[in-house]
Amino acid sequence: MQLRSSLDSLQRLLLALPLIALSATSFAAPNSSGPVVRLFPTTVLEDIRETGQVAADMENNLQEVIHRLDLQQQLYTESLCQGADGDQGCERIAKQLGATYLEMLNAMSDRLPEMEHAVNSTRASLEKRLREELGQRTTPTSLQNALLGETTPAVKQDKPALRGRSGVRLSDRFKQYYELVATHRDGPGQSLAVVAADIYLDMEEASTLIAATQQEIARASLMEQLNQSFGMITPEMAAVVGGVKEILFGESGGEAPIASPPYVIGETPFVSPLAM
Amino acid sequence: MIRSIAAALTVALALSACTTTENTSYCAAPLTGNLESAIRSAESRLADGCTYHFDSYFQSLLSTAENNPDPSNPMLFSDFLMGVQDRGIISQRQAQSLYNRYFNVKFVSLQGDYNTCSQTCPVRDQVMSDMRAELHDKEMGLLRASADSQSFYRADNLLKETELVLEATCRACDAGGR
Repeated sequence: MQLRSSLDSLQRLLLALPLIALSATSFAAPNSSGPVVRLFPTTVLEDIRETGQVAADMENNLQEVIHRLDLQQQLYTESLCQGADGDQGCERIAKQLGATYLEMLNAMSDRLPEMEHAVNSTRASLEKRLREELGQRTTPTSLQNALLGETTPAVKQDKPALRGRSGVRLSDRFKQYYELVATHRDGPGQSLAVVAADIYLDMEEASTLIAATQQEIARASLMEQLNQSFGMITPEMAAVVGGVKEILFGESGGEAPIASPPYVIGETPFVSPLAM
Repeated sequence: MIRSIAAALTVALALSACTTTENTSYCAAPLTGNLESAIRSAESRLADGCTYHFDSYFQSLLSTAENNPDPSNPMLFSDFLMGVQDRGIISQRQAQSLYNRYFNVKFVSLQGDYNTCSQTCPVRDQVMSDMRAELHDKEMGLLRASADSQSFYRADNLLKETELVLEATCRACDAGGR
């Protein structure tokens, strides 16, 4: 049960990290009459870029060990080891598999502090910008105007519209953020409020999960070390490895959300003198 | 002499009662016809003193518009509200509030002149609840009465984005002690 709990925690962390999505409606049309809100100054951009780099390093680090796990799993299956109790060859494969699994946990454990630092840094800088720019320098009325001014007719097909699993590599996700905010940061009056809010909330969630996962990995490692004595492979191990691959490397895509219909600019709409 | 005065008074009272009854039934009679004729009837009755029936007229006109959805309906409502406002039956603020609540993408519930941390965050749940209620009215005004699904979906999206942005912003405000 403890192992299961640690694996769940690990999987939740990996699921949470790439949840930061790019709302399609955040690609703003300029609203020159609105206030200029600077949510993504250079410091925030640098934090996002660095977090992406750390994520990329973690992926690269895990890619090789996960590949080995795949091969060992394949060998185990093809050797008809499932249920073959007492077979020395199968026990040896199972132990190797367990050892590789431990290696994966250790790799995660090594990389998580750096990831935690990067995520917390991004979270803190975004928190400050959100508080100052949207919380203190924006009224509810202007916030609403800014959000509406950002709505765009074009839905970019290659980017997810809502938060959720996307099947995109973690580092690519941060690269997308970086490119998005870097490209738009000098646009007149573009607040990108939705993007900032989305990244900030997911960084908070990721930060909590990283801390929880760090605690759980130690327990999972201990349990696996005990399992090594018995040479067992657990279904949870296979499930976690599958989850890691899916989230980190985007091997299976999530379901795309249904987008809202775009705003078609046709005839000039009626504007009431009573309109806000 | 006294007897004739009493008789005159009785007749006067009876006539007055008849007038009141007539007035009440005149004001409360349903508005019929298409939206334009219903608006004309409402305007006429309001001019004749049925001002206390304004709310029911407005709801009745919305129902009429719902049965005859058309993109030009917001303009008819706008003209109606401005006319009623000009006659002093409702205030300018009431006219704006009603029009925007039903026919504008923007939310009347999310308004204010102070900063978001101090004005909206302390009552964020209430604001979101009010916005959700307002979205129902926009569904009536934009979607069902005006057949303007695009504007309604923009309002729906605005509500979702506002919820997300307010959640993040208010957390950031809390973290900094507002």
